[in-house]
Amino acid sequence: MAATTDHEEHTGARASSRAPRRRGGGRIAAAVSFFGELLITAGLILGLFVAYSLWWTNVVADREADKQGDKVRDHWAEDRGPVGLDTKDGIGFLHVPAMKNGEVLVKKGTSTKSLNDGIAGYYTDPVKSALPQDKKGNFSLAAHRDGHGAQFHNIDKLKKGDAIVFETKDNWYVYKVYATLPETSKFNVKVLAPIPKESGKKKAGRYITLTTCTPVFTSRYRYVVWGELERVEKVNDERTPPPELR
Amino acid sequence: MYGWIWRHLPGNTWARALISLVLVLAVVYVLFQYVFPWAEPLLPFNDVTVDNQ
Repeated sequence: MAATTDHEEHTGARASSRAPRRRGGGRIAAAVSFFGELLITAGLILGLFVAYSLWWTNVVADREADKQGDKVRDHWAEDRGPVGLDTKDGIGFLHVPAMKNGEVLVKKGTSTKSLNDGIAGYYTDPVKSALPQDKKGNFSLAAHRDGHGAQFHNIDKLKKGDAIVFETKDNWYVYKVYATLPETSKFNVKVLAPIPKESGKKKAGRYITLTTCTPVFTSRYRYVVWGELERVEKVNDERTPPPELR
Repeated sequence: MYGWIWRHLPGNTWARALISLVLVLAVVYVLFQYVFPWAEPLLPFNDVTVDNQ
């Protein structure tokens, strides 16, 4: 009994002592707490943005890439007759065992919009890419390092001698990595040249160039990997992959 | 700000909590669907190509 009275008195005293203080500095306290809430909100939004770029864009891009990849495979399955490349929906699939990312659909162009679908694009600008079936030239590709499928996330795992296999409707093009450039300026368009001199090549040949951004999570520099065609295998009826992919 | 929103929501505590949750989800949806896709290309995180620009 005594305890409750005590308690009531106590709270009563506290409330009365708080009331005048609130009236006095109320406006400043409210402004400070509003500012604090804004900061918390900003922090939450930044956190959500990280989740968006590193997780959600991958979810969306993987879904889209699967859909577009299935479409290309369906097209290939439907028409067994004429030989040729279907450039509108995608020209084929890139397999890089060292990157452990399965197959990557390759389409024309390196616009942000198409790369955001979780695919790799071959350059049309500033240096026009050659295609794998061309007698000579450089097949140059770009894809995301993080987010939007992050198809070239593990580009740094590629070492000299690793296989890069490009699958088209009728052929397996097997390339071998012969040079890497872990850091270069984003203005260095010479890496896409038909004969990429920076990789040490002097003569025309059938090359492949992979480009993406580096270091991870930023795009301050570009990472470049060069490969040279080793052989071309015909696709058989079961589409048995070449030994590099088994 | 949040206290003000809470006080202006109708209903008892449970109803307010439910409405708050719906509001939070709506905000997250708008951010993921419209705001972030707009903001992302403006930030220097995801340029992967070499070019002249």
